[in-house]
Amino acid sequence: MLFRLAIRNISRNRRRSVMTASLVAMGALALLLFGSFTNYIFSGLETGLVQRGGHLAVYRTGYFLFGPGNPAAYGIDDYTAVMRDFQNDPVLKAMINVITPTQAVVGIAGNFSGDTSASKTFFGVGLVGVNQERMRQWDEHGAGRPYVPDNRLNDPDAQRGVIGRGVARMLGLCEPLHVPDCPAPEPRPEETGRTATLDPALADLAHDEQGDRPASGSAPRIDLLSATANGAPNIVSLEVAGVATQTVKELDDNYVAMPLALAQQLVYGRGEHKVTGIVLQLHHTADVPAARARLLALIAERHLPLEVRDYKELNPFFVQVISLFSLIFVFLTLIMVIIVLFAVVNTMTMNVLERTAEIGTVRAMGVRRGSIRRLFLTEGAILGALGASLGVALAFAAIAAIDQSGWQWTPPGNTDPVPFLLAWPTRPALLLGTWLGLVLVATLATLPPANRAARSRIVDALRHV
Amino acid sequence: MSESTTTPVVRLDHIARVYRAGSISIPAVRDISLEIRPRVFSVIVGPSGSGKTTLLNMIGCIDVPDSGRVEIRGEDVLRLSDNALADFRARTIGYVFQSFNLIPVLSAFENVEYPLLLLNVAAAERRRRTLTMLEAVGLESQAKQRPNELSGGQKQRVAIARALVKEPALVLADEPTANLDSVTGTAIIALMRRMQEAFHTSFIFSTHDPRLMAEADQTFSIRDGMLV
Repeated sequence: MLFRLAIRNISRNRRRSVMTASLVAMGALALLLFGSFTNYIFSGLETGLVQRGGHLAVYRTGYFLFGPGNPAAYGIDDYTAVMRDFQNDPVLKAMINVITPTQAVVGIAGNFSGDTSASKTFFGVGLVGVNQERMRQWDEHGAGRPYVPDNRLNDPDAQRGVIGRGVARMLGLCEPLHVPDCPAPEPRPEETGRTATLDPALADLAHDEQGDRPASGSAPRIDLLSATANGAPNIVSLEVAGVATQTVKELDDNYVAMPLALAQQLVYGRGEHKVTGIVLQLHHTADVPAARARLLALIAERHLPLEVRDYKELNPFFVQVISLFSLIFVFLTLIMVIIVLFAVVNTMTMNVLERTAEIGTVRAMGVRRGSIRRLFLTEGAILGALGASLGVALAFAAIAAIDQSGWQWTPPGNTDPVPFLLAWPTRPALLLGTWLGLVLVATLATLPPANRAARSRIVDALRHV
Repeated sequence: MSESTTTPVVRLDHIARVYRAGSISIPAVRDISLEIRPRVFSVIVGPSGSGKTTLLNMIGCIDVPDSGRVEIRGEDVLRLSDNALADFRARTIGYVFQSFNLIPVLSAFENVEYPLLLLNVAAAERRRRTLTMLEAVGLESQAKQRPNELSGGQKQRVAIARALVKEPALVLADEPTANLDSVTGTAIIALMRRMQEAFHTSFIFSTHDPRLMAEADQTFSIRDGMLV
């Protein structure tokens, strides 16, 4: 009877109830759309980061804080054995999608071909191309990014790599690499007529280290100069297969990627080849804590001087984006809660006022104060539920329309456009949380008028006109 | 005579009620003591503002005297908690209001059924008693109609059925014919008399209506808050 009465009371002033439910629906729609968008951003960013750098990275202890300035000093000894241990561990084995070594390099890159003479510092990375390609196919969240194969680093024996667009620009490689919208550097007046060339001794060094390996086709070459682990200068020649634009300008202006063997040759010369990092990409992000714990246990068991960092520690930008969007979501939620609160309080206060004599009647007939309170709370909850359900339906329709539209955009952390997909069924917590939250808010908003109704004196209520 | 027919259904002992508006006190009922016999048609008469409704409200346990004692069927109702008093009203007292006060979102059937729901009567029994009562007031064919689809007389019939369906010891009616035309009012008085006799219920009215006064078994006249 309580539910039947509540439903009928709500339909008593249809226009008012529809307006209130519509406001709740708008609240639900806004929260679900923005929540889905936030989830989409988080998933997209996470996917991009995990595709590039995996979930976990194992470094020599101290590398994370001090190593990037001198990667050669933080090489992992006998890294193939360490990797094998990780790979063969029954716990980790089930979680790992890709495990691959990487070598960081810092140095100077120079282009001294023909009339060009340009050099600049670089932050390079040596990697295993085939592993990197496998990592690029990871898409746990169904972000819908099209996978475009990139085999430029797949030949481990080739001295072929890619460079950031900024590096190409500053080394005067835009034209030979056919990079669009990439201007050649203007020669400064004092440098006109002057050209620098690679020191012949260094050129010989590069030749000695690499042997006679002619460049394939007509790809340009650059020289990479670095210091080896024991402090001696070393140089290698890199055939530039193309440009890999990076999303952060500072990185793009310094980025050089090359096969692992070439990076090791540059950093360790003829000494023992090590790596600065062992990257693990897992099948599922949810496994990160368990995988990390297992890695730390194995490291402790074998007394290895290694540390483990996850992708959030390695990419503080990701955590900042999550915080920013979460904060915006909280503010939006607050605004919606206030709107819903006021709308429901207003509607229910009107309902109580209009039904004061009726409240007096049923109280006289023996209805307890608590039952009066429950009746109005039920009405508030039903209004909230109707509005929230309508909002959910509208959100489904809006998301379906957006997903069908084929709209593409370039989100933060991406260089290429990706489909704009708000595939929210993967986040039922958002749906359930929004629905329950709004019903709760509508119910709580009814509490003051419901209490007022329950507390009214019967004779006063009966006299009310 | 059995005890139930001799014990007063209502006993008021020196009750007084004062309304206060700021610093002004208005005595509505002053030191009234009375006893109402069970199974009779009692009428409280008096001019407007004499305190009839206040007295009826205190008998009906919806208002509390400032002093004195109210006993309904031997129960000192002023000692009951708010919930216990609500339950007591649900079991013992039926109301018929001047403006009918039917619940507009419920049909005639549901309005009559409502008091039985408060007493947790089983569904089948509820239905049987509700239909019987609607038949008794001649509204079985209007059972599904909402109050806004009924005439004034029909609404008051529904209100009488609603007051009687739980077979209360006491039915209170505050000027039940005031909003009805004379023909309908006469019919309603006759109906209430018939129902009172059929259900052996005590009826207490406050009224100006001489036709109702003429039907009374027991009459209390009140003026300026005092019995005269």
